[in-house]
Amino acid sequence: MTVLAGGVLLAAGILIYLLEPVFSGRRSPIRGEDSDPRTEAAARRRAALTALRDLEYDRATGKVDGKDYEALRTELSREALRRLDEGSLDEGGASRELPAEQVSRELEDEIEAIRQALRAGLRCAPCGRLNDDGARFCGGCGRRLGPAGGRA
Amino acid sequence: MTVLGEIALWIALPVALWGTVLSFAGGRTGRGGLVLSGERSAYALTFLLVLASLGVVAAFLGNRYEYWYVANYSNRELGTYYKIAGLWAGQRGSLLFWTLLLSGFATIAVFRNRRRNREFMPYVSGTLLAVLSFLIVVLLFAGVNPFERLGFVPANGRGLNPQLQNYWMTIHPPTLYLGFTAFAVPFAFAVSALLSNRLDSRWIAVTRRWILLSWFFLTNGIVFGMRWAYEELGWGGYWFWDPVENASLLPWLTATAFLHSIQIQENRGMLKVWNMGLVAATFLLTIFATFLTRSGLIESVHSFAENLKIAYIFLGFMGAAAAFCVVLVIHRLPSLRSDNHIRSFLSRESAFLFNNLLLVGITFAVMWGTLHPLITEGFFGQKVNVGPPYYNRVNLPIGLALLCLMGIGPVIAWRKASTRNLRRNFAVPVGVALVVLGALAAVGVRHGMALATFAVAAFVMSTVVSEFWKGTAARARISGDGRLRALRFLVRRNRRRWGGYVVHAGVVILFTGIAGAAFDEAVVHELAPGESASVRSAFGHEYRLTYESLSHSRPRVRPDVQENDWRWTALLTVHRDGERLGVLRPERRFYPVMDEASTEVGIRSTAFEDLYVIPREVDLESGSERATFEFKVLPLVPWIWYGGMIVAAGTLIGLWPVGQPGRARTAAPGSRAPVGGRPVGAQSARVPERAA
Repeated sequence: MTVLAGGVLLAAGILIYLLEPVFSGRRSPIRGEDSDPRTEAAARRRAALTALRDLEYDRATGKVDGKDYEALRTELSREALRRLDEGSLDEGGASRELPAEQVSRELEDEIEAIRQALRAGLRCAPCGRLNDDGARFCGGCGRRLGPAGGRA
Repeated sequence: MTVLGEIALWIALPVALWGTVLSFAGGRTGRGGLVLSGERSAYALTFLLVLASLGVVAAFLGNRYEYWYVANYSNRELGTYYKIAGLWAGQRGSLLFWTLLLSGFATIAVFRNRRRNREFMPYVSGTLLAVLSFLIVVLLFAGVNPFERLGFVPANGRGLNPQLQNYWMTIHPPTLYLGFTAFAVPFAFAVSALLSNRLDSRWIAVTRRWILLSWFFLTNGIVFGMRWAYEELGWGGYWFWDPVENASLLPWLTATAFLHSIQIQENRGMLKVWNMGLVAATFLLTIFATFLTRSGLIESVHSFAENLKIAYIFLGFMGAAAAFCVVLVIHRLPSLRSDNHIRSFLSRESAFLFNNLLLVGITFAVMWGTLHPLITEGFFGQKVNVGPPYYNRVNLPIGLALLCLMGIGPVIAWRKASTRNLRRNFAVPVGVALVVLGALAAVGVRHGMALATFAVAAFVMSTVVSEFWKGTAARARISGDGRLRALRFLVRRNRRRWGGYVVHAGVVILFTGIAGAAFDEAVVHELAPGESASVRSAFGHEYRLTYESLSHSRPRVRPDVQENDWRWTALLTVHRDGERLGVLRPERRFYPVMDEASTEVGIRSTAFEDLYVIPREVDLESGSERATFEFKVLPLVPWIWYGGMIVAAGTLIGLWPVGQPGRARTAAPGSRAPVGGRPVGAQSARVPERAA
């Protein structure tokens, strides 16, 4: 008998727990904190930059070289720049605030660095290092930086 | 407690159905109240299923033999741990346990996403609750209710199958079930992505860690199962190609393929339909495995009439789920077009693609072998089983090709690799493989398949090591850090890549261990106490085993109390090339309640081989205590377990939560990052994970 009473109590408790949100107006969010429409653009931007960095990694570990590297880099840089521009168009000035807690700021920094470097032509092609604004020689390997070396 | 558990299981059904309907309705109408009620159903369901499971465990611990399930899988003499493990000892309890784990994972998934990935969540909880509803319906109405009563109270239960009375019983099934059930979450996200038409790579990014988690448990579950078979079944093997083993391997194969192919989708926007197919197939195979494991469908189609009903119900569910997925995918085909195409045959994409084809090829081969008895019976009226020779002949070459790809894939560039680079990158690994091949041939190894495996293993291992070496060197060169620091940095920046390489290393070691079976040695001797026999190892040394004595545990004096088992223990001393190593104590056991006997082997393990002693027969009648032993020397078997551990460690590296190491060093939000402040080359991206 006690068991049965326990069962009834259990059922009643669960019933209230389940019905409460339907009638009380409490609700689950339908859109998440990270569900800004811009995340789609951000995801594509990250994918483009990831591809670029993977290429640099492959280059540094000797998996691609020479013409293949140059061709792929030009192509990927172009793609990345396009994505970055897309991103900044719809993000406006708020781009630093955009990513939710999960988005690593570190990567954002790097994205920024790559973005600047792609524009300024400061990436050293042979060693992959990004150099400071206005640098004329690579701080990593000492080679001359120039349109041929860095500009995408 | 048990009755309350039964009541809880009955309440669980309307709760699960309610949750399914409200989640889908909430997702469809965008009403947050309905969604919240649906999510609360998941929490409530887990609570109810915990109560139900505790009810079953209480029935086992309280020796409540009026319940069919307890009476058939326990007896008074059984140890407490095995009584608790009784929850998953048979089909009925397993189903409840499976449902409980799935519900637990659903709860975790819902709770962790209570604020993020919200667009996916209504359909995710709806899908999970729909699957749970199905399982609860089966539990209650398909004749497999663990709370079913016998109508009378037997004095004692029938006991637990002796082969299940092994400590792995408490570890292996739960691990495997965790793997099976965790995969429902990625599946639910895939369904949600299809239903809500959010078919970019986000559902993959969100569930990546769930996929890895499931893979982790599946892999460990399978390796634990091998270990159990090796220790308990007493024939010196670890893999039978038995239908139940195959059932656990099938979802593992497709999950492995999926783990690789999602990388192509994330990196190149390709294979979207294929990935949907793999995630659905893996989920369906986990269901298939669950029902096959305990239904006895394959081994004995006719002897378990009551189980045929549940077999049809499960097949119906799988068919319906498969049809649902196919229709959904077809409906969304326009959104599932590839963004890219494979540019070159020599590229990492194509290596991944071959990997996928081979894994799916093995899946079909294993599936065909497993279902062969059913198919032949259905079409020709005669059941034809296929044995290990079939599986080995088909799968070993494919496995070897896969092993090769494991060495090729990581070293080849995305998009397009040049032959010159390939030659340069593969020169050393191929050289290492040839040296190993030559050395083994020189010391007299003649077994073709084993030679090939060892050579390929050396090839893969050297590519993995060189990847680590080159990556670290490149990072150290750019950052100026020491090697160790550079390595740490690398791994932290891309856990998936480097964790994956560690997994590859583990798999290579595991395969090497399996190839060691080509050099097994075995002898059978009948010995009297005091006599000894020798067995030679493939490594050249010789073991000498002396049968010293036989002891046995006596039945207790009180006739009303029985032991769970009676044991006869042989004592053997082991010498290797004259040096005394120690003793082994293999056993014969007899389980009086079940009237069954079993064998407990003696194993002496070193880093390179196992000495494995099987007591085949003991003469108890004449009083001579003569015994027949089989002595085996099994080279490289321990490597299988080492490999398994390394695989697990690698998976954990990939699973480890991504910290936010950059936070502290980052400038305040809103300010521009210092341009070119940090070198970027030679690192691979760590895309922020929004893990579910």
